[in-house]
Amino acid sequence: MNPPTVTVHDSTLRDGQHAVRHQLDADQIRAYAAAADTAGVPVLEVGHGNGIGASSRQVGLSKTDDVTMLATAREAMPHSRLATLMLPGWATSTDLRSAIRQGVDIVRVAAHCTEADVTERHLGVIRDLGAEAQGVLLMSHLAAPEDLAEQCQRMVGYGAQAVCIFDSAGTYLPEAVTARITAITTAVDVPVAFHGHNNLGMAVANSLAAVRAGARVLDACARGFGAGAGNTQLEVLVAVLERYGHPTGIGLRLVAQAADLAERTLMPAPPTIDSTSLVSGLAGVFSGFKKPVLAAAQRAGVSPWDVFVELGRRRVIAGQEDLIPEAVNTLTSLGERP
Amino acid sequence: MTPHARLNTAVLGTGPLGLDLIDRIHASPYLNSPLVVGHRPGSRGLAQAADLGCVTRSGGIDAVLDADRSVDIVFDATNAFAHPAHWDKLADTGAILIDLTPTTTGTLIVPTVNGHQAAEHQHIGLVSCSGQAALPILHAVTSRYPAAAVEMVATAASASVGRASRLNLDEYLDTTQQAIRDFTHAPDAKTMINISAAAPAPPFRVAITVITAAPAPADDITTLTASVEQKMRALVPGYRVRSCTSEDRTVRVVVEVTATRSRIPVHAGNLEVISAAAIHAAERRARHQEAHS
Repeated sequence: MNPPTVTVHDSTLRDGQHAVRHQLDADQIRAYAAAADTAGVPVLEVGHGNGIGASSRQVGLSKTDDVTMLATAREAMPHSRLATLMLPGWATSTDLRSAIRQGVDIVRVAAHCTEADVTERHLGVIRDLGAEAQGVLLMSHLAAPEDLAEQCQRMVGYGAQAVCIFDSAGTYLPEAVTARITAITTAVDVPVAFHGHNNLGMAVANSLAAVRAGARVLDACARGFGAGAGNTQLEVLVAVLERYGHPTGIGLRLVAQAADLAERTLMPAPPTIDSTSLVSGLAGVFSGFKKPVLAAAQRAGVSPWDVFVELGRRRVIAGQEDLIPEAVNTLTSLGERP
Repeated sequence: MTPHARLNTAVLGTGPLGLDLIDRIHASPYLNSPLVVGHRPGSRGLAQAADLGCVTRSGGIDAVLDADRSVDIVFDATNAFAHPAHWDKLADTGAILIDLTPTTTGTLIVPTVNGHQAAEHQHIGLVSCSGQAALPILHAVTSRYPAAAVEMVATAASASVGRASRLNLDEYLDTTQQAIRDFTHAPDAKTMINISAAAPAPPFRVAITVITAAPAPADDITTLTASVEQKMRALVPGYRVRSCTSEDRTVRVVVEVTATRSRIPVHAGNLEVISAAAIHAAERRARHQEAHS
């Protein structure tokens, strides 16, 4: 049997935003989108790092508004499909309608891994508007394989045309991915996607494990552009898939050039697995917490390593950045009233 | 002391919020035991309401209109999709409608801020659980220090957010943001909500950020928030200001609310803060009618 085709879902212009505090401008978006389109990238995801409607002081104000980001990418891509992300409770159906008017083909609706029922309404709205609806479970390491499978079944019931699990904390080893993707592909009959982070250096290996367990969509970012240790590195993933014989429709040299452009124009430096990113992966804390944790730890004179361990103990999720000062206070035993 | 003339009540919705309203109505010297109306006959919530001694009916709002006795106050603890039709049917009956769903169809009331207005309106909206928790602080801070922008992030434990709330997240965000703009006059208001699956379930929490036009001295903000906390605790004993800072024209206040009611788990302060507001509004109305009868 020939190795199956894998759809590579390029999240550079959405998840990469976490690494630059959501400061990408229209020129940066236009240039990378054009390069990705030329390389044959089938899907490019664009937006604030936490999705449309998420620009805020809590998780970072966008430099460029949602409509401009999406319209700019759409115009730069004659071929690739345009995707974006939304979180119920952060964005509304009004944001969805506005995004789809800009030519978004795919909207991913994301929820914490045990809370799939918050996606019901928005998956339905996306289907009604004629776009492709996909369901995403965040921080998926916090749920057992059979629970993830059940949550994915629910999302398919609400109208999801694909389901995806995020390794938001970059904490998986391949065996854990295999168990989860196997459970999900057994439970649903829509394409299953895996989104890896590289905190333990396992993102490409985990993505490959996902494909072998039945995933047919893999998320990746040019140069791994993403919070902390970064994401599955797009051009490396394409090369590895090619070596294993999985068709992707992406030109390897062209996607490598797109990644060179990304390194030159999107990021101050490519992501690296520093000690803070390593501990955030080990602690199972969302990689997007890195910058605010470093800032808070420095102000308080405590170790960011300890702050991540404390946040991991509290099982924090993205959006709970307001707990960082509390975690720091726990370490300094000062601050809040008892 | 002569007993108060009690008003007749009805509760729409038989979730945890509806059941807590029943308890509070039974404890109130101004309100008669409610007619409790559910959607489906034989639901668990209706059976619980009957066990509490209430008259129960299925069939939604029509059951209130068909009731044997006239109803003075209707509490709507259903959902934002159903609420507008409830008002359409009740408007001409003269009954007071107190909306615990997140809509902007009624006059928005927050007891410690504009509770006195509750007696003057037939249709009262209670914003949302996080609106009830955050607006007293936001109003106090922005009345003294005009706001350029306001942001509020709520975190509710997964177990405290039922199906209706999960389907009404859009209405929750829109209504809460509208109320923040109305009560603070901030040109820029942003709200988000996290549903936390952490174990043990964390208490309901609102993290408030106010960007002020002029610097707000931290000790003044501490005094203001302590005064709000004291007023709120008379209504909601588990209301607590967890932290409070002011620097670089940025005021940050975190409030946590734990529940103290028998029928509500301790983490679900979100339910308590809005059910307390509903009863407060109803009793205001009852006292007003008594004074003017």
